[in-house]
Amino acid sequence: MKRFVKSKEMGILLIIIVISIIISIGNSTFLRPDNIIDMLKGNTVLGIMAMGMLLVIITGGIDVSVGAMVAAVTVLVGKFMVNFSGNVLLAFIVGCLCGTIMGAINGIFIAKLKIPPIVVTLGTMSIINGLMLYYTNGTWINDIPESFINFGKLTLFKIPNGQGGMIGVPIQILFLVIAALVTWVILKYTLIGRGIYAMGGNPVSAARIGYNLDKISIFLYSYMGFVTGLAAVVHTSIMRQVDPNAFTGFELQVVAAVVLGGANILGGAGTVLGTLLGVLLLAIMNNGLILMHIPVFWQKIVVGAVIIIAVSIDVIQRKHAEKNLTKVDIE
Amino acid sequence: MDKDLFIKLSNVSKTFPGVKALDNIQLEVKKGEVHALIGENGAGKSTLIKILAGIYKPDEGATIIIDGKEYQSLTPILSLRQGIVVIYQDFSLFPNLSVAENIAISLDIEQDNKFLNWKKLREVASKALNQLGVDIDLDIPLGKLSIAKQQLVAIARALVYDAKMIIMDEPTSALSKGEVELLFKIIRSLQQRGISILFVSHKLEELFEVSSRFTVLRDGKYMGTYNIDEIDSDKLISLMVGRKVEYTRYGADKIGETILEVRNLCKKGNFKDISFELHKGEIVAITGLVGAGRTEVAQALCGINVPDSGEIILEGKQVKINSPEEAVKHGIAFVPESRQTEGLIVRQSLEDNITLPIMKQLVGRLSVINFSKKREVAQQWIKALNIKPPYPNMLVQQFSGGNQQRIVIAKWLATNPKVLIIDEPTNGIDVGAKREIHLLIRELASKGMGIIMISSELPEVLAISDTVLVMRRGRITGRFDGNNVTQEEIMNKAILNEKAPVTA
Repeated sequence: MKRFVKSKEMGILLIIIVISIIISIGNSTFLRPDNIIDMLKGNTVLGIMAMGMLLVIITGGIDVSVGAMVAAVTVLVGKFMVNFSGNVLLAFIVGCLCGTIMGAINGIFIAKLKIPPIVVTLGTMSIINGLMLYYTNGTWINDIPESFINFGKLTLFKIPNGQGGMIGVPIQILFLVIAALVTWVILKYTLIGRGIYAMGGNPVSAARIGYNLDKISIFLYSYMGFVTGLAAVVHTSIMRQVDPNAFTGFELQVVAAVVLGGANILGGAGTVLGTLLGVLLLAIMNNGLILMHIPVFWQKIVVGAVIIIAVSIDVIQRKHAEKNLTKVDIE
Repeated sequence: MDKDLFIKLSNVSKTFPGVKALDNIQLEVKKGEVHALIGENGAGKSTLIKILAGIYKPDEGATIIIDGKEYQSLTPILSLRQGIVVIYQDFSLFPNLSVAENIAISLDIEQDNKFLNWKKLREVASKALNQLGVDIDLDIPLGKLSIAKQQLVAIARALVYDAKMIIMDEPTSALSKGEVELLFKIIRSLQQRGISILFVSHKLEELFEVSSRFTVLRDGKYMGTYNIDEIDSDKLISLMVGRKVEYTRYGADKIGETILEVRNLCKKGNFKDISFELHKGEIVAITGLVGAGRTEVAQALCGINVPDSGEIILEGKQVKINSPEEAVKHGIAFVPESRQTEGLIVRQSLEDNITLPIMKQLVGRLSVINFSKKREVAQQWIKALNIKPPYPNMLVQQFSGGNQQRIVIAKWLATNPKVLIIDEPTNGIDVGAKREIHLLIRELASKGMGIIMISSELPEVLAISDTVLVMRRGRITGRFDGNNVTQEEIMNKAILNEKAPVTA
């Protein structure tokens, strides 16, 4: 408990509380259960993808192809459902498989050819975008099967909506919870998860004690692809249609959420709880600014400024520590 | 084989392209013995450690006998399985992981477990720390610990590997006096449990405190193994430094007025009370062991490492140098140790490299570069420093080490400096070319420049310097006239603690 009070997560939580208070003073609907549920539902996709990005960023890497990847999977799953089957389980299997394959391709290039992650993923981003434009011509897929649309309307349980009625908690949130739990178990209890931290902290030593860094890289970029595929299907269940251009620039939001959540962009540090809080912070800033009728461009400026401030604090702390490092022990 | 021996190496040589790093070395370490391995920088200690760790394969004909079993060479895994654990100077730990993981996670990796049992991991880690008799919080990130405690964590990890011999590479270099005492206590307790320690260090007084035998290397050659009762520090030093390579001495013909004076320069954690004078035409050598603070002093004079206090007086005027740009303006040029990464842009041409610092003088109206003037300047320096082959367009990486060094020197001479600081001028250059670089430096001095040369190579220091400053642990511990000093005298100041002279 003492540790939590001093942790980065606590700092983010404080910021969230302060911002929430400010917004709810400006607009009382902000804290109403129906608004909160809408806000969460609208950010499950971001949250699920942030879980994959967390692993990538802990190793000091980055994946900018996730926006293109998630769009591509929505198109592939949409076409699959329209042409073959409206089976929900099949849709998830196809989505996750497509995502995993795309992620694995990133991972193989990064691990085996030692090309910097930003270069590989910029390349795959452009290739995927190009292929999708060729395939869809930018047209939407509207005729999603009824069975899948009904699945998307399911709710887990009902809670009071604060105005005397009841409101259901949408099923999509369950997927975020599952993704967060699985990621937490990977990071905390598996050897490969600890290897991800080790690789981010000191790659040379990680290799020296017997970690196979190539294997770790391929695993984590594949996992990034896997959760991206999952997020794509969840997204389709929310929107009930497919817009091939819905995710332009989305990769930056995913990276932003993870960085806001206290993960170190230089590698080595980051937690599932922090990332969830980062997603929440981003969601609140977006939602709150809309409720307060602040123009959209301010959202972007504020989010950008917060990210730069967060990363600057990390870098300044590290530089300060380096400066005070004793090079020679003077007698 | 003797039953008390843990490891016996004989006929171990290691050849790298162009260099014989180790020549017919032998080494015996008994069970439960603290054995000191000593030698100057570049004597071959690190190469030998890497052979023991299985990272390098020795040349044909070597025998390594561990616990009675004979090998020609080791691999990292084989070496670890035999209980040989190296604690490198950087410890190879993870600052972001908990103490428990740093100590014990290697076991899980070795057993190829998929999941981590935190309870067991913490048990293993706490058992290892208990064996050392130290109390460290298992759950805090390693990076929050002091260097001394991180070292204890590294030793605890070695115990988890079931170490039979722990090799410690300069283990006391970043420790305070009290921390060294604790380390020695732990070393003695490991010794009692039958674990051998190979202690690699320069610090003779410390070695005499813990070691029972000494093996000395010099220039990759075996100089013998001695019991503590048959050797003293003077003899050790003479074994370490008596190099065969000797250069004819070229001292200054005449030394002019003072050009640079440094008074009481201090920087926390870098150096303390540095004072000296540099005259026109003079070569001042700063020598000592790696890590003594020499480079830090040089960097302070050229604005890379700004000192906390003290005065720098240049041609009678006190100056503040807060950036390399200001240093260049004041006429101080710095040729760094690593040509390839700090001194040159190796993928650009000779001409581009030489003219880089003086680009501003080569631009005409509208800030457009005057290419014919640029070529002219390059040609002039190629001729002046006799750079071979004399092709301005050739990429720097295609030149030999000696010529690359000339190019770096040319680059800084083009700025027309009053003071030239050169860090390890002949590092990685073959013997013939070394001589030429020495003569070049002497010639530059004789034209009126003041030169500060940082060097670990004592024959080089003796060959051209007029004043020799010896540094040890951040201070100047010896000042000598270059005409009248021996390698032994220098080495004494570089490695011995003045306050507590050691006699065996």
